[in-house]
Amino acid sequence: MAILEIKHVSKFFGGLAANSNVSFEMAQGMIMGLIGPNGAGKTTLFNCITGYYPPSQGDVIFDGHRMNGLHPDAVCKLGMARTWQKVRPLAKMSVVDNVMVGALCRTNSLKVAREMAIERIKIVGLENRAKVLAGSLPIGERKKLEVARVLATQPKLLLLDEVMGGLNPTESEEIIQLILDIKEIGITQMVIEHDMKAIMRISDRIVVLSSGEKLAEGNPQEIVSNKAVVDAYLGGD
Amino acid sequence: MRSFMHNMRGASVFPILLTVAGATALFLLPNFVESTYALHIMILIFISVIMGTGWNILGGYTGQYSVGHAAYFGIGAYTTLILMQYHQVAPWYGVWAGVVVAVAIALVVGSICFRLRGPYFVLASIAVAEIFRVTALNLRLTNGAEGILITDIPPFKIGNAVVTDFMSKVPFYYIGLVILIFAIIVTWMVQNSKLGYYFQAIREDQDAAHSLGINLTTYKNAALAISVVFTSMAGSLYGLYVGFIDPSTVLALDLSVHIVMICIIGGIGTIWGPAIGAVILVPFSEALRSNMIAQALIDSGIISENSRIGAFLKDQLSHAHVLIYGILLVIVILYMPDGILGFARKLLAKRRKEAA
Ligand SMILES: Nc1ncnc2c1ncn2[C@@H]1O[C@H](COP(=O)(O)OP(=O)(O)OP(=O)(O)O)[C@@H](O)[C@H]1O
Ligand SMILES: [Mg+2]
Repeated sequence: MAILEIKHVSKFFGGLAANSNVSFEMAQGMIMGLIGPNGAGKTTLFNCITGYYPPSQGDVIFDGHRMNGLHPDAVCKLGMARTWQKVRPLAKMSVVDNVMVGALCRTNSLKVAREMAIERIKIVGLENRAKVLAGSLPIGERKKLEVARVLATQPKLLLLDEVMGGLNPTESEEIIQLILDIKEIGITQMVIEHDMKAIMRISDRIVVLSSGEKLAEGNPQEIVSNKAVVDAYLGGD
Repeated sequence: MRSFMHNMRGASVFPILLTVAGATALFLLPNFVESTYALHIMILIFISVIMGTGWNILGGYTGQYSVGHAAYFGIGAYTTLILMQYHQVAPWYGVWAGVVVAVAIALVVGSICFRLRGPYFVLASIAVAEIFRVTALNLRLTNGAEGILITDIPPFKIGNAVVTDFMSKVPFYYIGLVILIFAIIVTWMVQNSKLGYYFQAIREDQDAAHSLGINLTTYKNAALAISVVFTSMAGSLYGLYVGFIDPSTVLALDLSVHIVMICIIGGIGTIWGPAIGAVILVPFSEALRSNMIAQALIDSGIISENSRIGAFLKDQLSHAHVLIYGILLVIVILYMPDGILGFARKLLAKRRKEAA
């Protein structure tokens, strides 16, 4: 059974259709790559799925729940968590405290939350930065903090919005490993990424968006040999 | 051992000892201080610490800058005094009645205003407080612009024994001190609980907090409710102590600004910030108001009384406290954005670094 079904989702901003009639499904445990040129509507789709705003049309069904109209906090409690393309550290709180805020979604005890947080911080490799203020981290570590924080909410489905954006090759490689580790734990993931090599390596399936519409869907080999996709990326300029 | 220390974060032994020693000294103080003026200033400071500590929960920890907290100060004061003066309800019930009324009204206001963010929330909070001020000016219940003057506070008895008849300042001093300690303890508990984490997460980034499972309306309203409990109690205590309230004192924009200033100057989002802010700001504004500063300048011979500057200062300085507040605020924001407490901490950290 699909863990996430997106059915004919559209989102309009005034006259602009940032998403139009997008449909696809995700199976439990997979990594879905979500790609498309700048402004294709990838982040908008994340926002619609996670309740940041409701879709103008269509349905999102997660783990058997119809999500329409649910607020982000309720979505998170149901087990779907997202990171932000433009990272949002809780700047004046330490790294541990940031991750604890995520963990407190599942417990009322600070002690338990701290243990959960430290575990997640180790997974992303920030253990010796635990007491540093989040606002003072460089971008690479901020991206890792975003991942640790959403992992602490104990999601079934994780939506990662360009967690490699702005990173150097070493850092990107670490994130790729991290995403593969998270898959091992059994968490389903949808990953937005511009780095084609990376996305081809990690994805089980890929959805391509262009101008708000779904242009193609398939496994990585199918996507690289899809003429429409190649045109959208190379012919556009 | 390490993990033990870790869990006791913020609760190491030294600050606790210091706090207990400070509280004990404050409890003993009236035995040694003869001057009623000194007690008067202490009581005003306590009232300011209580309301500042209240505001700090909402403004400092949760980042919702209400510049309308005079509304809840006034509602507390009016409720307690009206009940006492016209309905013979003893103030130790009236204070709690004030808290209930103020919190109930705050939650209605909150459920409307918390949809707004940043400067829009600030403006809405000012507007709401002004509505309450104008309403109190025009209502029979509140006796309009004339305000409410209380005659006698009934003596406080346990059984048949009279504990106090409220004839001196001392009972107000102790009541203020007890509420203050209560407020500080509550702040400490908030800071070391899930509530405190959620409040601070909302302050740092509402959208991130929301996406991490935090119901924004619920937690903002929780912060507001805790905040208003203390603001309202401070109002009731003020009304009982001074014996007279009117809209232009307990519901004034001035007062709302004063509450915020206490916290910004002391250091917002810290347990002791409001206390430090009040200890500095209250005597300072009293000195300005009673013309002590101008008089001191003249007495010390820095400025001659007969010079034009001297005459001007003597006439006008007492009216200028709002202007001077403004200047002080600008200086603090420019040079000590984390308040005096934050500034002191930075200095200490720097020293330690240099020593190491
Ligand atoms: N809140 C909004 N109001 C109006 N228009 C918006 C809003 N959010 C996004 N858009 C528009 O919707 C379109 C899709 O934006 P979106 O951010 O979803 O693209 P994206 O695929 O994530 O792009 P990128 O790769 O640059 O992150 C863009 O044209 C954008 O300008
Ligand atoms: Mg985007």
